[in-house]
Amino acid sequence: MTQHLPVLLFLLPLGLAICLPLIGLKHREWCRFLAIGVVAGMVPVSVANLIGVLQTGTIHYEFGGWAAPVGIEWVADGLASVMTVALSLVALVCIIFLSSVLFPYLGSRIVPFYTLVLLLIASLIGMVFAGDLFNLFVFLEVSALCAYALVGLAGGKALVAGFRYLILGTFGASLYLLGVGYLYAETGTLNMADLAQRLPPLVTSRAIAVGVLFMFIGLGIKMALVPLHGWLPDAYTYAPDRVSPMLASLVTKVALYGWIRIMFWVLGVHAVVYQIPILFLVGVLGALAALIGAFLALSQVEIKRMFAYGGLSHIGLVLVGISLGNQTGFVGGVFYLLNDAVMQAGLFFWAGAIIHLYGVRTIEDLSRLYGGPGWMSVALVVIALSMIGIPPTGGFFGKWYIILGAVEAQNYLAIGAVLIATLLTLAYFMKLFERVFRDRSVQQPPLIREVPLAVRISLGATSVAVIVLGLMSDHIVSFLLKNAVPPGL
Amino acid sequence: MFELIGGWLQRPNYIAFVLLFLWGIYIMVTRYNLVKKLIGMYLMQTSVIFFLVTTSAKRGATVPILLSTTEVIQPEVYTNPLPHVLTLTAIVVGVATLGVSLALADAIYKKYGSLDEEEILKRME
Repeated sequence: MTQHLPVLLFLLPLGLAICLPLIGLKHREWCRFLAIGVVAGMVPVSVANLIGVLQTGTIHYEFGGWAAPVGIEWVADGLASVMTVALSLVALVCIIFLSSVLFPYLGSRIVPFYTLVLLLIASLIGMVFAGDLFNLFVFLEVSALCAYALVGLAGGKALVAGFRYLILGTFGASLYLLGVGYLYAETGTLNMADLAQRLPPLVTSRAIAVGVLFMFIGLGIKMALVPLHGWLPDAYTYAPDRVSPMLASLVTKVALYGWIRIMFWVLGVHAVVYQIPILFLVGVLGALAALIGAFLALSQVEIKRMFAYGGLSHIGLVLVGISLGNQTGFVGGVFYLLNDAVMQAGLFFWAGAIIHLYGVRTIEDLSRLYGGPGWMSVALVVIALSMIGIPPTGGFFGKWYIILGAVEAQNYLAIGAVLIATLLTLAYFMKLFERVFRDRSVQQPPLIREVPLAVRISLGATSVAVIVLGLMSDHIVSFLLKNAVPPGL
Repeated sequence: MFELIGGWLQRPNYIAFVLLFLWGIYIMVTRYNLVKKLIGMYLMQTSVIFFLVTTSAKRGATVPILLSTTEVIQPEVYTNPLPHVLTLTAIVVGVATLGVSLALADAIYKKYGSLDEEEILKRME
């Protein structure tokens, strides 16, 4: 039974996504509850899968009974199982948020909307478990197609942003596919474990070097690594407020996970392309992304856009962590990745909620929040503390382990990049706080509306989760060190 | 130098792939009309598919179908079927992407009354 859990986890949202258009013909209002129910059902399944993996070791699921190098296989190892638990939890909170009554009524579009959301979740699960480069490409494209459609759903500017996202995303996917083609032509296999065996004697080949480069540029576009991030700010700013948390917290992070999977499990830690260690390149790119993202966030006036740029800088921090070439740094990076998913979700929950409760879109208008419910500001402060990296939140411990790894690797530039990115993050949140807490220039009576239950739950859950992640960081990190470290690190 | 070019000319299919790929990117980057951008995008996707197929090509090889169960399998007389299978999936992905992109382009046209990117950006202000 245990070995079927990864597939069950994937089939739950996929099955409902297929049935939903039929159910929606008659009972349109059921969609919301069915979707929440199924995603809630994914949480225990993913936890059971994690426990199963811990007890019996890595699960290799062979589709159709064809053994691994020929057939398609899914690999549920420690890291993938931890990622799916996090993914299910974040997806559950996001789907509760997006079904809130706060947002405009979708009418007949509610059925395709939930179908897209469920397909997105299913394809992200598929990406996490994929043990085959081409399989990863297919799920990457399914998730991207759902994301384009969800961005475009808002109409107006979102259509243009979604179109741009589509053009760039497809360009990235084509490059990734081309890279996979190069690797296949050179090695004759697509299976990740098999590739890892066959690549070491071939790394000097130019075809491999170019193929790897293509794959990383492709995935870099998908995960919005800084020089390739052009689509992200517009897409996340203009996307419907109900879906931007899900996009921001899950889509780019899972693409980043795919990058980690290929870099450490296929190429290996010591891979060298043209005399340059790949990890060194990743570290430089990550440090640049961390600094430029935070710097750009500082100069934004729109709240959602600021958070989108903040997300870019955090992707850079994760890359800095994993590029250090030691276990502490890698685990710090992965732990920061989990934290980042929660923090991005929380920030976009907050931004979406204040847009619909107070009509506040820019930082200038934030002073209108004065007199509103205090707990929303508390939630913002808690998540912001984690973004900045102040104990006892998860963000602090993520950065702490990244810096410990950098000290261990004697990489002082990485420490500098993390510290400067932290200061810049502090600066842009100070800009926000100043408006929220100190600006009293607007004397109009605040427009207080009842905060819907779904928003309370999702915002509360993320801010509690940030603190719980911080308090439990010791256990999580030692757990990751034991179960989720790539071979040879 | 001469040998290098001579080596390239022995593989005209790869040259065709590179030309198609770059041509697709060129159209995507230089055209302002959204539908023309999509044409460039599709050309680029198709060139990647062409690349995958052409890696499996072999002179004098045949379709990889066994005629009887007792036949001795000789890998060298068959073309590699796997890239074709990948191609099939990649085509489906490409068609789905094209569908979504045309739907978006249509919605943009209905909203802004133009497919020209500069015109749309002007009307977005």
